[in-house]
Amino acid sequence: MARAWEAVDAARRDAISKTFSDLARRVVEAKPDLLLVVSPDHWVNFFLDNLPSICIGVGETHKGPPEPWLQHLPYGSIAGHPEFALHLARTALDGGFEPSLSHHLELDHGFAIPLWKMGIDSLPPLVPIIVNTIEPPMPSLRRCLAWGDLIRGAIERYPGRLRVAILATGGVSHSIGEHDMGRIDEAFDRECFEQFRSADREGLLAFLERRLDAAGNGAAEMRNWLVAHGATQGKGFELLGYHPYPEWYVGCGFAAWDLGER
Amino acid sequence: MTETACDHIMRDYWLSKLFFDLQAPAAADEYRAGRDRVLDRYPLKPEVRLAVVQEDVTALAPLVNPYLLRFYFVAIGKSEAWFLERIRKTGPAASNEGARG
Repeated sequence: MARAWEAVDAARRDAISKTFSDLARRVVEAKPDLLLVVSPDHWVNFFLDNLPSICIGVGETHKGPPEPWLQHLPYGSIAGHPEFALHLARTALDGGFEPSLSHHLELDHGFAIPLWKMGIDSLPPLVPIIVNTIEPPMPSLRRCLAWGDLIRGAIERYPGRLRVAILATGGVSHSIGEHDMGRIDEAFDRECFEQFRSADREGLLAFLERRLDAAGNGAAEMRNWLVAHGATQGKGFELLGYHPYPEWYVGCGFAAWDLGER
Repeated sequence: MTETACDHIMRDYWLSKLFFDLQAPAAADEYRAGRDRVLDRYPLKPEVRLAVVQEDVTALAPLVNPYLLRFYFVAIGKSEAWFLERIRKTGPAASNEGARG
């Protein structure tokens, strides 16, 4: 998207920009004290030497994207929230989850592009959660949903008043570096949105178990959506926009879960 | 998700390491300036090194993560059209199916 922004005509660029703005408005209006971002790592922090399924960024700061084509973004250093991040880690370990921890993550385009395109002027402290959606074996779909449950519990039990917004990036269908690179599966994407909207957890999992493999390797990033879905208990899912742009090889989907809590 | 053979996929470690390392701009510059000198530092199997030298997308695709594969050919200056033409001829490689969903 960032490298081929101009490849899409102005009308469709405007349309997706409006959707980004809608998403940003909702985040700003929620007045979050911290932003928990669930995203992949595209071979930046991790390699075959050490490839965690889940990693929580517990550092005081995180480094911005290393990609040369993103050096113009205003994310040289991004503030973290180690107190909450370590609280989440403790909650996880007490609950039978064993995340990896990092005190200094580099947040690649999976994090940076949505933040940049949302155009939020002042980012709240950010807690990154990296889900391995890049190299098999990946965490199970059910486990990703359970991670969302765990995050919700950690927020509720945090000792102190804290408003947390969760941003899950990636998806929907896309294929990168594979024989069907560039293929977008609109039917899958639209059915996927319906499944999220239904808030039927077992139905959603069954659908993804059945169809995710065929929607391209990038569709694995729907695990990040499952984390958000679990954290919100599937309440208030609203599709904000769907922009299947072949020039970018991605079926770009945008959604919000409005808990109605103000 | 149901376990499949894809979960037991084995990558070619040194090929993957080469592609991973070339993400650093300075390393990519050095590689473009003297490919063989860089390749000498990686204990690639002869047939894998040959596939690298021949820019054989079909041979390399099953050995490495698809994101790294795509990145590599960008790093050595191949156009997107060049890569798409070749990767789309590979067909659904069973060994890479595990990188999906």
